[in-house]
Amino acid sequence: MHDEGLRILVLLSIAFFFGITCFIIYFIILYRNKQLINKQEQEKLQATFRQELLKTQIEMQEQTLLHISREIHDNITQVLSFVKLDLAMASAADEKLKQTKINASRDLVAQAINDLRDLSKSLSFEHISQLGLVKTIEIETGRINKSGIIRAMLTTEGEAYSLGEQRDLVIFRIFQEALNNTLKHAGARQLKISLQYYPELFILTLEDDGDGFLPDLLEKGKGSGLKNMENRAALIGAQAAIDSSPGKGCYIKVTLNPLEQRLYADGYHPNRFG
Amino acid sequence: MDPFSILECLVLLAASCAGLIRYRRLGLSFRILTWSAVAVFTLTIIADISSAIYRTNALVLQIECITQYVFYSLTYYFIFKNNLVKKAIIISVVVISALFFINGVFLQSFNKDFPTNIYIPTQILYAAFSLLLFKEMLMYPVRINIIKQSVFWYNTAILFYGTTMFFILGIYNYMAAHNLDDNFIFVFWYIIIYAFNILMCIALLTENKKNSPADA
Repeated sequence: MHDEGLRILVLLSIAFFFGITCFIIYFIILYRNKQLINKQEQEKLQATFRQELLKTQIEMQEQTLLHISREIHDNITQVLSFVKLDLAMASAADEKLKQTKINASRDLVAQAINDLRDLSKSLSFEHISQLGLVKTIEIETGRINKSGIIRAMLTTEGEAYSLGEQRDLVIFRIFQEALNNTLKHAGARQLKISLQYYPELFILTLEDDGDGFLPDLLEKGKGSGLKNMENRAALIGAQAAIDSSPGKGCYIKVTLNPLEQRLYADGYHPNRFG
Repeated sequence: MDPFSILECLVLLAASCAGLIRYRRLGLSFRILTWSAVAVFTLTIIADISSAIYRTNALVLQIECITQYVFYSLTYYFIFKNNLVKKAIIISVVVISALFFINGVFLQSFNKDFPTNIYIPTQILYAAFSLLLFKEMLMYPVRINIIKQSVFWYNTAILFYGTTMFFILGIYNYMAAHNLDDNFIFVFWYIIIYAFNILMCIALLTENKKNSPADA
């Protein structure tokens, strides 16, 4: 009887150990499956991010080329046409008028050279990494003010730091898109741009005094450019908030925690448990 | 000291040495684990000496019981990311410590009895923490091979220890009640202790704070 009891206890103990071992093996298999699923998801996110980044770069290049062609057509060609006209008139004029025309033509040529020099420094994504986001936005603001279409004011707060090349690029693209919207659709006279740099927070705000739009434009999917801004911001771990109402202009705020690591945005991150 | 005790001390010494030699490469939670291994090794030696000289090692075993719980709980505290579980761990340490003193004064005397009243809830809590951590590991898997994760080895050790010790205590009570030969229990007891400390040793050898999910 005692031997029987002992035998049962031994068997129970062995079964118990076996149960624990099976549980551990089952957990290992389950964990490996989870790792595989996680890896596939990360790769998908990385691919999406790379695609978006490429799209952003292409859009910026298109924007730059558009700007260059517009400047050449509207500005430089016009100036050189005036030079041609002046020089043609100078050949038939008297000495005094000839000299005036030549001086005027020289001034116009100098202006054309300056404009071409400015064009050669036109914005591309390489400039952002060289000059930094603040300087790049400063140059863009200066260009807008020079055009006279709208009065743009840029303010910066705090000591500027790099958010990372890819994040700077995406933030600048969001800024460009917002700027284009203001110029094309808002009918605004003033645009306030603000860059705020805090140790754990970066904020970009754009505020215009234009016509504004209905808030449901985003939900109805008609404002695809606006939706694009939100999606791009989310891709780099930022939040984009767009606030507008008819007659009250538009307010766009992009916030980002520069310390937050994103695997697919930064290319490397420490293995995180949570 | 019988051969089983000597082997137990050697295994404990191996775990302590593994932790101390690799101390700089360990994260905070595994540094705490290293000190727990050193403490348990020291208390085991004192328990054997006390047993030889005073014919009782109840007091040392009582201290060992609460010391182990505090150290292992703190190790879990720094591994878990879930704030609710962390709070529960701290509360459990306070409650178990209070129960330990009440048990020692009123129920199972510090000088005479083995603290089974404290052992049972602590083993249940070990099993609970271990299962919660396994769940958290599944929810947030990392890219490191699971065999190379020190957290996995530590958690396996605690799950194994918590469940089997509870089981063994139950069997021991049954055998005592039915006057059965309890040598079998002691063999199993020692197997569990050896396996537990070997798993702890592996955890300390695989831990590297640069790659570890713990303390991230």
